[in-house]
Amino acid sequence: MRFKFTAKVAMRSIAALTIAGLAGLGLSACSSSSQGTAGSATSGTINWWGWTPTNSDEAKQFIAEFNKEYPKIKVNFKLIGISDYQAAMRPALASNGGPDVYDLQPGPYVQQFGSYAEDLTAVTAKALGSDWKSKIAAVAVDGLTSKGKLTALPIGSSYAGSLWYNTELFSQYNLKAPTTLDEWKQVCDTFKKNGVGCFAQGVSQEGFDQDTLQSITNSVEPGYWTKASKGDAKWDSPQIVEALGIWKKLFDDGIMQEGALGAQQYPDINNAFLTGKYAMVMMGSWYTQYATEAAMTQSIGAAGVAGAMPFAILPIHFPDVAGKGNKSEMFGDADYGLAVASKSKHRAAAETFVRWMATSAKGQQVVADRLDTTPVLAGVVPDFSSIKFVDSALQTDPVNAYLKGTSTISEPRFALLNADLENAFLAAAQSVGSGSATPQQAAATLQQAADAAKAANG
Amino acid sequence: MTVAHPVTGAVGSSSRPRRRLQAPGLPWILPALVLGGGLIYYCIGYTGFLSTLNWDGASPDPQSVGLRNYTNLANDRLFWSALLHTALFFVVTFVLQTTIGVIFAVIMHSRIKLAVVYKVIIFVPVVLAPAIMAPVFRQIFAADGQFNWVLDHLGLGFLAQPWIGQESTALPVIMSITIWQWTGLTFVLYYAAMSQIDQSLIEAARIDGAGNIRTLVSIIWPELRGTTIALGILSAIGALKTFDIPWLVTVGGPNNSTQFLGTYIYQMTIQLAHVGYGAALSIVLLVIALVMAILLQVAARERAPRD
Repeated sequence: MRFKFTAKVAMRSIAALTIAGLAGLGLSACSSSSQGTAGSATSGTINWWGWTPTNSDEAKQFIAEFNKEYPKIKVNFKLIGISDYQAAMRPALASNGGPDVYDLQPGPYVQQFGSYAEDLTAVTAKALGSDWKSKIAAVAVDGLTSKGKLTALPIGSSYAGSLWYNTELFSQYNLKAPTTLDEWKQVCDTFKKNGVGCFAQGVSQEGFDQDTLQSITNSVEPGYWTKASKGDAKWDSPQIVEALGIWKKLFDDGIMQEGALGAQQYPDINNAFLTGKYAMVMMGSWYTQYATEAAMTQSIGAAGVAGAMPFAILPIHFPDVAGKGNKSEMFGDADYGLAVASKSKHRAAAETFVRWMATSAKGQQVVADRLDTTPVLAGVVPDFSSIKFVDSALQTDPVNAYLKGTSTISEPRFALLNADLENAFLAAAQSVGSGSATPQQAAATLQQAADAAKAANG
Repeated sequence: MTVAHPVTGAVGSSSRPRRRLQAPGLPWILPALVLGGGLIYYCIGYTGFLSTLNWDGASPDPQSVGLRNYTNLANDRLFWSALLHTALFFVVTFVLQTTIGVIFAVIMHSRIKLAVVYKVIIFVPVVLAPAIMAPVFRQIFAADGQFNWVLDHLGLGFLAQPWIGQESTALPVIMSITIWQWTGLTFVLYYAAMSQIDQSLIEAARIDGAGNIRTLVSIIWPELRGTTIALGILSAIGALKTFDIPWLVTVGGPNNSTQFLGTYIYQMTIQLAHVGYGAALSIVLLVIALVMAILLQVAARERAPRD
């Protein structure tokens, strides 16, 4: 069999196929933007994608409790590492094969992926009444709201600006938790003399650098960081230069561990702390879960230690590193919220799940008792009678006080920032830490990044 | 193969017959042609279009900025820094891989015992996925890692460093991992090329009194020229595409000291959502790869011995 193909016919064929292909692409692109049907609110299968809960047992527990009320809704949780989250979500949300429910965090995630989510204001109002804003922690709602749209319902809040320490190591060397920079240095000197790591931080991850820098700045001048984040103050000001100078001192004084610039907070530093290599770590309220025996034991095992022996950890305020007598206040916003994809074909079932997790007392109690994130629904607190600490006598009161203290926090953590500014924090922290830039030079780059972001956003 | 209708008429003459494609072949290559042209070249063209936009990859109203992404790129210190790292990475890894590969190949040709075992050991890193090895290297080169432990136990503790935690040593670590991984391939290709060398040439050199070094430099090495050029092209393209090792081991840091074009494109496009700027970087990467491949090919042809 022979095909009589002339150049003209061949070119027409190719052109036709190309046009058909492009038209197909175009049609699929058009169709991808259309919303599917809402489906049933009490049955169906929904896919939930998120970087948290990082402990898949926690997600399984949430789903199991949810299924006690809604047995016909099957929820599949897919854990995606936070470093891969943006890469995975962008094509997934743009396609028709993405998740029905997905995690969002205040700041860059809301800015980048909030447009794919449906507005949950009406869902929340239906569940909690028109005064719903008074029933959910405002600091959590604000960060998940973009241009008047509630992109996700907060599941819990997280607060940073605290340190956690290994009580066994501190008591072994008769040390007290530091409250000033000098005390911190002395504590580290003692640990170093005894061959024990003192404080560790993964400086290669911007979010944690930002936490430490914000804490230092709050010690220099309370509230200044938030003012700069809002654009009401400059990033190249003497306050930020001083904060960066103190950051540098953490390296020079041997408080920051060797090799900090190349370390990642997760998994490197988390594992190092949980395996007793370091006595102190910069973590926030999400670390409360490791005060419990179950989570601590499981995490030590996950860090690669056989026959894990849990130890008691306690939180402390960030030391007064500027020496001005300022209490370095904590800061925070929604740890994560659950968004419902506007393209989902099971939106009604997805809304049911998100609503149960965020606005029902039962859902929030499950969240609260895991101590991974602080519940956002008013009146829900962890049931400490059912939580088993590693050392209840030592930990119950301080941990309870720590969590109660977070209820008055008003300064945001990520909500006012964008990805470019966060990237600039990383560059500034690393360049000052390595000595390749002075605090003044690094502060100038922060201001440039803020100016550029402002210009880009009009 | 049949040539259906060769051109016989004069150019421009009215009697010129219609030029026909080879009828039996076209239907068979058409799917590949459509797939290749439609997918690859469409994507390149679309990336070129994206490079003229200011777009976050999600918003429905991307803003056209013409060539501004390219002009911004010219003033981007990190872009030039990534290019410099790429060039340095290519030179160092190519020279060392070539040297070590040739030495291994020569040793293996000298009929040593357990040669097969050595060959397997040298080649194994080539088949190991970088994603599997990256956490291992992060651990080995950490401040309290095994490399420093070995140095310490050899009495060289004063050389211990936080290897991936400082700007001065992070790039050499990335280079050494790459050399460890790819020298096996270099060795295998040189080993095969050496098998093709006419033994009489080497015997003649020996009769003329050439020693081992002289034979290697003056007889064997020139005969390996084709393999070296092929490896040079592969290394150059590999250097431009470098992503996995620096991203998984150092995330391009500390302080961008291991930033390559690939990692920078990923950071800009995915993490910072500057899709237009990332596309401009990708187009520049494509152009550099094409120019480099052409230059290496031309250089290889010009230097080729004329029979």
